Amino acid sequence: MKKFLTMTMVVMAFVVSMSSCSKDDDTPEVAVADQVVGSYTGTEVLTVMGEADESTETFEFTKASDVSVDVTLPKYGEGMMTVPALPVKGISLTKSGNTITGKLAKYEGTVKSADGSEKAYTVSDVTVIFSDKTVVVTFMQKYGNMPFAFEGQFTGTRK
Amino acid sequence: MPAIHLSAQSFRDSVELEPVVITASHTPKALKEAPVVTRLITLHDIKITDATNIQDMLTQEIPGIEFGFAMSQETSLNMSGFGGNAVLFLVDGERMAGETMDNVDYNRMNLDNVGRIEIVKGASSALYGSNAVGGVVNIISRENLEPWTAHASSRYNTFGHEWRNSAGFSFNTSKWNSQTSFQHTRIDPVDLPKAHTSEEIAIELMKKAQGLPYDESVLNDDSNLSRLYGQKTYNVKERLTWRASDRLTLVGRGSYYFRTSERDTYDYHFNAYSAGLKGRYAWNHARHLELSYAYDQYDKANFLPDGTRTHDHDYSNQQHVAHALYHHPFGKNNLILGADFLHDYLSTYQFVAGTSHSQNNIDGYAQFDWNIIDRLNVVSSVRYDYFSASSQKAFTGRLAIVYKYPWMTFRANYASGFRAPTLKEMYMCFDMGNMGYMILGNPDLKPEKSHNFNVAIERTNRIRNSGFLDGRYNFTLVGYCNIFDKRITTIDGPEYEGKESALYWNENGVTVWGVDASLGHIWDCGVSFRLNYSWMHETGNVYFSQFNQPRTHSMTWRIGYDHRFSRRYALDAALSGRSFGKPQSGRTDVDQGYTIWKLMLQHHLWRSIRLNTAIDNLFNYKPKSYYYSSPLTTGISFSVGLSIDLESCAI
Repeated sequence: MKKFLTMTMVVMAFVVSMSSCSKDDDTPEVAVADQVVGSYTGTEVLTVMGEADESTETFEFTKASDVSVDVTLPKYGEGMMTVPALPVKGISLTKSGNTITGKLAKYEGTVKSADGSEKAYTVSDVTVIFSDKTVVVTFMQKYGNMPFAFEGQFTGTRK
Repeated sequence: MPAIHLSAQSFRDSVELEPVVITASHTPKALKEAPVVTRLITLHDIKITDATNIQDMLTQEIPGIEFGFAMSQETSLNMSGFGGNAVLFLVDGERMAGETMDNVDYNRMNLDNVGRIEIVKGASSALYGSNAVGGVVNIISRENLEPWTAHASSRYNTFGHEWRNSAGFSFNTSKWNSQTSFQHTRIDPVDLPKAHTSEEIAIELMKKAQGLPYDESVLNDDSNLSRLYGQKTYNVKERLTWRASDRLTLVGRGSYYFRTSERDTYDYHFNAYSAGLKGRYAWNHARHLELSYAYDQYDKANFLPDGTRTHDHDYSNQQHVAHALYHHPFGKNNLILGADFLHDYLSTYQFVAGTSHSQNNIDGYAQFDWNIIDRLNVVSSVRYDYFSASSQKAFTGRLAIVYKYPWMTFRANYASGFRAPTLKEMYMCFDMGNMGYMILGNPDLKPEKSHNFNVAIERTNRIRNSGFLDGRYNFTLVGYCNIFDKRITTIDGPEYEGKESALYWNENGVTVWGVDASLGHIWDCGVSFRLNYSWMHETGNVYFSQFNQPRTHSMTWRIGYDHRFSRRYALDAALSGRSFGKPQSGRTDVDQGYTIWKLMLQHHLWRSIRLNTAIDNLFNYKPKSYYYSSPLTTGISFSVGLSIDLESCAI
């Protein structure tokens, strides 16, 4: 009986230790947000009232949670005719195969304008697609009292 | 007989009893004797179109008038080649302060207590002064003469989940008459369907980035608008009349209007306050003197979503108007002498910070209505205006000749018009959207001028004993030419503190040629038909902005049927439509024209209840892309409304 108990404890200890070993060997998958954060440089096309303006810009994606990212839309224009950089927070990510897609219906925030005053802005209809090191972003942007919306498209690659 | 609204008989009466109009001559005249062709929208028209405000109403009824969007999703207007600031809108003959974007706020002009609307196309400055350079739209309130009336109504439309609620009360005694009305509307934001979703665009963009085959058309969307903003309005009005004696009548009125427009970043709040006092002393039915004072204030301000007022977009326009009008008869003829004093004050974020401007307008005018013989009527008017801020003077005149054969009426008319530069156009100094692009006023602007020539023929008659065609018909054919000069617009301006600018400037004008035709028939069996068609062509310095895309051809029509089936039930049905041709600008990236149909069924239950059901955009027209002149539709929509007249319940 004593031998049986000893064997049982040995087996249990082995199972427990094997279980522990097995657990230790699992490599946790990197969070989707961690897979896409970084700087992407490429071409941004902003269209307002039917007129398109193209420029080279960098979009910086930062981790908000394991499954969401923030991005800052780069500033647009020069001098007093500037729309400052606009943070957009909480873009939810989903992964399918090698593609990670981000969606955000609407983000409202405030930002300091070129003259120092506080301006409200809205970024809506945001779609982001990451594939390998490439990202595309589409969005609508309203800034301050500007009576019209900017429609944005960005295509960039991560360094 | 108890009031049964819009029965077959009342519809016919509205046409056959020769309705009276006042706008064309400042004097009540039978429609067929008005010196200038006047388009009349009757109470029946207002009810059967189920329109909420003047914009809805005119769009459905009058060809050649088109509303679109201006900057900031405020409303723009084009009427026979003239923009909104060239068409004078009046409510009971009084002008309104304020503007949204070169227009008055059309939402102020709700139709809850409106009895009729008169539209005179072409210059009318000889009677109405500045802004009547392209025409006048006069909205005239109802005056209930029953001892008392009370009504309440509510209507829901699926487009934007729009609600319109209204209530009114009136009483009438030998000495007093009071009219009170209230209206509230609410419409939710409407996301306009895009040709492609943002996700579809992103997928094509990714294919392009990866060098895969992609659809270029998905990446280019021609729409200028993606969302219609939601808004709420409140409108309350009171008019009190005191018949002090057989000769003296005093009328006091007051109104308050509030609108909030729910934008992406801010809420825009609009407030309007209006008050007036009018006295009328009548020696007899033809000789009378009218003195009045009117005050109108229109304010705008922006609010953050948390309710904080930003004060960076404060706007206030205040107008004081004193008015005198004297009618004196000479036998069958009539002389009118009038004078006005207008004080106009404007404080706006579009001026240099902390500044405001004002000006006075003084005018005097005379009109002689000469009935040379029974068939021949000549109406001539002259007017002088002086504007203090620009030191501008304007002389305007009109000569209208009406010759009436038993079978036809002929009209010929010349009228001049002008529009003085506004305070905004003279003193603006505005960084548009804080983007470093200035809009600059120009104190040296000259008034816009117009000359309108038109000829018209009109026939109204009854057909009897002809079987199928028995009933009443009328047709009107108007040909016109508007010469419009010194039009105020913007050109590239000088550099201002290192910023680019646009400067208000007088441009060479345009000449607009056009034809308006109208044909109507009311059969004795209760069926009616009306077709209105407008053609116009512009020559000269034609200027197309993205907000203003006039069209050569436009048409409206309505087929109606009304019948009382029993004492408890009557039906008033209308199948109406409007069709707009392609824009004259030649723009090809948008729909080249469109046609929209509407079916309206108005059920009269017992004596006091009216149930309205409507299907708008019956054939589900959807613009291929939304630009500033697109119709406000995302496809078919439905509405249902209920209206109760309490005084009829009490009988």
